[in-house]
Amino acid sequence: MKKSDVIVIGAGLAGLTAAAAVSLQGHSVTLLAKGAGTLAFGGGTIDVLGCYDGRGLRSPKLGFEALPAHHPYTIAGKQGVIEAMFFFQKLCSEAGYPLEGSLESNVWVPTVAGTFKPSCLVPKTMSAADLAKADHIQLAAFAGLKDFYPSMIVKGFQRVALYAGKAYHTVPVETHLAPGRDITVLDIARWMNTMAGQNNFVSQVKEQIAPGSYLLVPPVLGTEPNYDIWQHLQERLNCRIIEMAAPPPGITGMRLRTLLLHLLKKQKIALIEQAHVSQAEIQSGCCKSVTTKHFGRERTYEGDAFILATGGFLGGGLVAEPLAVKEAIFGLPVASMLAAEQAAGDGLLNAGPVFQSGVNVDEKMRPLDLHGNLVLENVHLAGNILAGYDYCAEKSGNGVAVVTAYRAAMAAVGREQL
Amino acid sequence: MIKQTTINKCTACTSCVIDCPVTAATREFKGPKLLGPGLERFRLFEQDVEASIDYCTNCKNCDITCPSDVGVSTLNMLAKNEFYKRKGHRLRDWILSHGELFARLSSPVAAIANWGMAFPLTRMVLSALGIADRPLPAYHKTDFYQQFHALRQQPYEQKVVFYPGCYIGFNAPQVGMDLVHLLQANGYEVIVPDVVCCGTPVVSNGYMDEAREKAQHNIRALAVWAQKGYPILTCCTSCGLMLKQEYLELYDIEGSQQVAEQHYDAGEFLVELKDKGQLKTDFKAIEGSYLYHAPCHLRAQGIGLPGLELLQNIDGMKIAEIDAGCCGIAGSYGFKKEKYDISLAIGKNLFQAIKACPGATVVTECGTCQLQIGHVTKAATIHPISLLYAAWESNKQASSEAE
Amino acid sequence: MEQYFDVIVIGGGATGTGILRDLSMRGIKALLLEQRDLAYGTSSRFHGLLHSGGRYAVKDAESARECMEENTVLRKIGQYCVEATEGFFVRTKGDSEEYEECWATASSEQGIPDLRISAHEALRLEPNLAPDIQSAYRVPDAAIDGFRLVWQNAQSAVRYGGVVRTYTEVVAIEHINNQVTGVRVRNTLTGELKKISCSMIVNAAGSWVGRVAALAGITVDVTPDRGSLIAFNHRLSNRIINRLRPPADADIFVPHGSITILGTTSVPTAKPDDFEVNREEVLRQLEAGKALFSNIEDYRILRVFAGTRPIYSPGGAGRGATRNFAIIDHKETDGLLGFLTIVGGKLTTYRLMAEKTVDRVCNYLAFKAQCRTAQEALVPPVPQAVREDARRHLPAYAADRAIDRLGPRIEQVVARIKDNSACRQLVCECELVTLAEVEIAAADSTTFSLDDIRRKTRMGMGTCQGAFCGLRGVGVMTGHLAKGSTAKKLLREFLEARWAGIRPVLWGNQLREVELARAIYGATLSIDGAMNDEKE
Repeated sequence: MKKSDVIVIGAGLAGLTAAAAVSLQGHSVTLLAKGAGTLAFGGGTIDVLGCYDGRGLRSPKLGFEALPAHHPYTIAGKQGVIEAMFFFQKLCSEAGYPLEGSLESNVWVPTVAGTFKPSCLVPKTMSAADLAKADHIQLAAFAGLKDFYPSMIVKGFQRVALYAGKAYHTVPVETHLAPGRDITVLDIARWMNTMAGQNNFVSQVKEQIAPGSYLLVPPVLGTEPNYDIWQHLQERLNCRIIEMAAPPPGITGMRLRTLLLHLLKKQKIALIEQAHVSQAEIQSGCCKSVTTKHFGRERTYEGDAFILATGGFLGGGLVAEPLAVKEAIFGLPVASMLAAEQAAGDGLLNAGPVFQSGVNVDEKMRPLDLHGNLVLENVHLAGNILAGYDYCAEKSGNGVAVVTAYRAAMAAVGREQL
Repeated sequence: MIKQTTINKCTACTSCVIDCPVTAATREFKGPKLLGPGLERFRLFEQDVEASIDYCTNCKNCDITCPSDVGVSTLNMLAKNEFYKRKGHRLRDWILSHGELFARLSSPVAAIANWGMAFPLTRMVLSALGIADRPLPAYHKTDFYQQFHALRQQPYEQKVVFYPGCYIGFNAPQVGMDLVHLLQANGYEVIVPDVVCCGTPVVSNGYMDEAREKAQHNIRALAVWAQKGYPILTCCTSCGLMLKQEYLELYDIEGSQQVAEQHYDAGEFLVELKDKGQLKTDFKAIEGSYLYHAPCHLRAQGIGLPGLELLQNIDGMKIAEIDAGCCGIAGSYGFKKEKYDISLAIGKNLFQAIKACPGATVVTECGTCQLQIGHVTKAATIHPISLLYAAWESNKQASSEAE
Repeated sequence: MEQYFDVIVIGGGATGTGILRDLSMRGIKALLLEQRDLAYGTSSRFHGLLHSGGRYAVKDAESARECMEENTVLRKIGQYCVEATEGFFVRTKGDSEEYEECWATASSEQGIPDLRISAHEALRLEPNLAPDIQSAYRVPDAAIDGFRLVWQNAQSAVRYGGVVRTYTEVVAIEHINNQVTGVRVRNTLTGELKKISCSMIVNAAGSWVGRVAALAGITVDVTPDRGSLIAFNHRLSNRIINRLRPPADADIFVPHGSITILGTTSVPTAKPDDFEVNREEVLRQLEAGKALFSNIEDYRILRVFAGTRPIYSPGGAGRGATRNFAIIDHKETDGLLGFLTIVGGKLTTYRLMAEKTVDRVCNYLAFKAQCRTAQEALVPPVPQAVREDARRHLPAYAADRAIDRLGPRIEQVVARIKDNSACRQLVCECELVTLAEVEIAAADSTTFSLDDIRRKTRMGMGTCQGAFCGLRGVGVMTGHLAKGSTAKKLLREFLEARWAGIRPVLWGNQLREVELARAIYGATLSIDGAMNDEKE
């Protein structure tokens, strides 16, 4: 039987953040990871609250007022959100990868779909607050790159009021990558990891761009959580380089994940990979241990507190059957309207209540049943397993993950402010 | 056996592609997502050849990272097997995957065999066959089985079964003997049944039928002990993964579930004794700085890093985890001429991290990881069990000196 | 643009395009008008079974015989839309032995070849079948891709001078002195109105024949009958599996390319485009299908869809009605000259229906020409050398799939790849569709949306249902955007169309995929975000 102060189940952004927060408070942590979470292939921007009720928000704070009582941010409280963001920013900063932004305003990050997405804390490479002032925007077009269509991007930008009147230019870049599989941003980011790649990029691009101008690139400025490559290129090219948000592999999420994993290793937390938690042992409303089972033998992990960050449907924390949604490990009561036909909404992106499914929690992130009664005393939930929000409509995914993870962590070690 | 329906779990998220060390090292490999669950939908009714499947090393990083439990590496190995059925094998493939046979033949004349391996003419022949120009694992003059049978064990009520595997069996028997001594010191009698190669190299070289026969033999030999409730230990993490998981994924052999449930990595077993307060052996730190490298096949077992845990718990032991990814050898893979450069490219970050700590000894459970690391960085390598054995000996010596 | 045609065919399904092909091959100047994309209706919304006739053997002998004959013809002429998978009729544990005897007798009387095999042998050949099946028969069923069938008929017609106009809705039928003179049409994308004159109109609008006839003030009693279908993520079997019992819901599983389709149901409805599926009927079909595939709950549902059968039954309704077709000459029934309606029937006999219809047209036009549609292949065969060239240049497993879709037009794709190796890239990794093929489809004059590309190339029809290829498809289309169209609009349309099919089955692994698609398009790319106020 392995024992830790806190057992964290789930290694997505919420689980990694919770584990970091607990261990930085000086407690022992075991992190049980089934696999990588969406952070591995997703975006590494902390979207706190970008839209609400179909309107874009100029700042997350403006949206907080409108949120209903069961929204994770409401449960965490404004102060809770502020503390969590402060914690996360400090963590990234101390790891040499400071994020930019604040809760006072959203930033609009350019995407490879020719749109802008609202976010709050972004890596410096994606900080585009001054982009709207540029008269002339250039796009680096890597030959053969999938998921990057410069003319679509330009046409998209031209339809956005603030970006309509600008001059757009495509800068072709050859990577001379060896022939083989399709080229993705991952290939180019790895190419940029090398000095030869960076030099090659500079030599091709230098003649084609005006000093002091803006150059938009797909997320290819290396795979590591540091700004070395970005700074190097900006110096040599004497221009502002901005990375755009892109579909998987998103690269920017990968960097953040690397940062968090390195921190956790440094903190000497016990990371158990390929750990598939199948059940929990509960005694008098308290969780005593959880058990992993994959092939072979079951293994049990004991803890004083447990943080459940197993995700929503995609992560597998919630499992949807035709007529019911279940929480996979503890069998917690799930607030879901999957059974009702109407619940499915009328669009993929405006999909209605079904995607708000999850477990309700109290202010310590502990699970409640459908009548509001506490189910488990020492289990704290974080991330997409929570009910009451739709990260897709709100552009709030990573924000909820970080805020609720920090709350769960502080509650788990008994340090929460109430 | 892995179910066909496992492909339904794949969401094409690209996690496996991101973490695949082969994808990072060569542009030729189309990536685990496409070659595994992606093409499996077509393999159900089409015949075609995707040659780049041959680049897959079966390192399991895709499985470790997959959030959907697809079992990508097994799909790849099954596809590789079909690929080899169509393309046929080279003599070289047979030589590299049947090391046990050579070992059993060569071990008695190990010195000559080892000398012969270094001989220029031999090397020329090996090169012509497609074997990379790098030292081949040397055979020990007295293999593990001989040494074990020569040992007079203390009989104990508590028993464990030890599955040595080929590397410990013939190349590094000392590791096996170190484990036996440690187990004896903790009140266990060790049983070594009549087993053969676990089949890891034959699986990854596309000899699936033969791999199944080996598995059947091993399960027959081990099941009888599993039924008695005896733990079944391995020191080699690839053999361990085979017994604990891959036998269940690749075949349908009666008794394999029981064997899997009784399987322990040797370090895992000792850690469990420690957690129960039953570890009788005490350890004293050994001089020197140590770097721990986690073999991919250990990370895939879902048991954490028990060897590291044991060593870190020894007061004064200077050991740090390297955490720099796959070493690249992937068993027989790094011995293939055309894969050699890829193998080295995969391990680049690891080698860099080791070279940054000159004088450190690298601790790792996997025999071929040791070979790769030694070959590229020239660092000394050791199995955690052997280091623990040394720490135990050191403690015994210190205690007796104290008296 | 031509303003006069001898014959205007209304309806771009199998029947309509079959008629257009026959007319064109016989040298008659003909135009086909379709309100949406070809095969919008029933022809792309059925399970894709090319009947051996076994299904009708007991109750409808004439249908069964017709099916058998046409099945043979279509296998011959439709090499690139028919897969000769063969089929099984399987009696499961709960099914009646008496019916089996009855069926076996009736089948042999109709001349439908069936070969009895043991349950053991059936399981050896199709290991996913439920282990407790009782008996099995081999029949020459084949799988037919309705969309490709329709397009290939259309392309064949065009080669013979026929003209096809999609997204063109007929808004009025014009006649003078009880003689048809032409139609007025509206381009549904641009709104443009036009007049086209003709001597004859053939109403081949399937479930919409009633609506079209009404434009001429005529009533045609067609009862649309809705059938819903379930698409699974992969092949559950390589053969068509029919349940050996009186025809009921969910008794056919058909492999199609990389997926399997289970169907179907039968519910009379008022609307020809009643394409909604509800969760209850899905669950009922799965329950029924379990008898054949006991692990059915393990199989991932990609989407569900529905189509309406145009049942012409002045008497009965639904499955009980005859599946025969009828050609209504409105001169006789309603006193309008030059207006024929072809109604009823099933896809398997579309060619025969077309032949009979065109025979009538020829009679009417006093034109003598033989029908050759059964003699000539829809698509010329692909020479082995071309096939091998394709295999060399396209990614593994992709070449044969592409050849099945394109026939000899594969050469265009290969040429493009040879010219620019970047075009070898897979836009759709689930269905293995190359950039070359998508670019060619995007540039086609009949492509107006991502769904048009999807239907032609199968992009977005695999496991991820467009989560990854949606963006790529739009990127490729950027150079071909029609006026008023934007990348965002195309993407949203595409995603919402996918949503319609997934919404009734929001569970399991496909729900997870939907979440990923939402994360990509909603969270990462924010295609619905508020900063994107567009100038219209």
